[in-house]
Amino acid sequence: MITELDPNKIAQLLTQSTRQIDAATLSALAGARRNALTRQSVHSPVFALTTGRWMLSLIPHSTQQWAATGLLAAMLVIGSGYWQHAKEQQISDLDVAILTDELPIETLLSDSHRT
Amino acid sequence: MQSSLIGIVLLLCLISTTAGAAAQSWRALTPAQREALAPLVQQWDTLPEKQRDRLLATAKHYPRMTPEQKQRYHERLPTWSKLPPEQREAARKNYRALEKMPPDKREQVKQRAKQEQEIKDRQSASGVTATPSSSQQ
Repeated sequence: MITELDPNKIAQLLTQSTRQIDAATLSALAGARRNALTRQSVHSPVFALTTGRWMLSLIPHSTQQWAATGLLAAMLVIGSGYWQHAKEQQISDLDVAILTDELPIETLLSDSHRT
Repeated sequence: MQSSLIGIVLLLCLISTTAGAAAQSWRALTPAQREALAPLVQQWDTLPEKQRDRLLATAKHYPRMTPEQKQRYHERLPTWSKLPPEQREAARKNYRALEKMPPDKREQVKQRAKQEQEIKDRQSASGVTATPSSSQQ
């Protein structure tokens, strides 16, 4: 059987019940409330401006995020190094060709070959 | 964990920036490198680091060159090393353009260059100054 409960009646009953709770339990509940509020304040945004929140969201928080960021940075560094090496290799091959070709260097320094 | 990751990234950055900086003094070169770069013995230690790195890279090809190529390489090294970087870059650009030409056009350019060189050689032998257009910059 379902009876209609009056919210005011429920609040009254809860207030009465709270008065019956012993001091140790009340103290424990108060401590838990303080802990919960402390944790909430850590996660609350520090910056009032939207840009501040955006910047904060870019900073990795967890170990996995740091690992992913590190991996990405390492890949960028390795990729850039490889690209640089390949570019230098091309220049070196070209220099060897210029220095050994039967075409004199002077011809390459003038525009005559374009005509 | 975070600090170690940052350390790894910084180390990688350091390695990538120093990887190309392997320029050596003439004394530190191997006998094979000295043989290849012999015409540069006097100015080697005064050359910029990047240029030395690039010349060392070309020297790796020296043992596989034909005697004719080795002779040209040795003859051209002093001129090449004295050119300003912009002119070397222009020569590379022109050489790339030349490589893209059809073989017959490329051959024409080579023949014309050969003729110009012969005229220049004859002029220098007879004591006449070469024309400014064919002189080296």
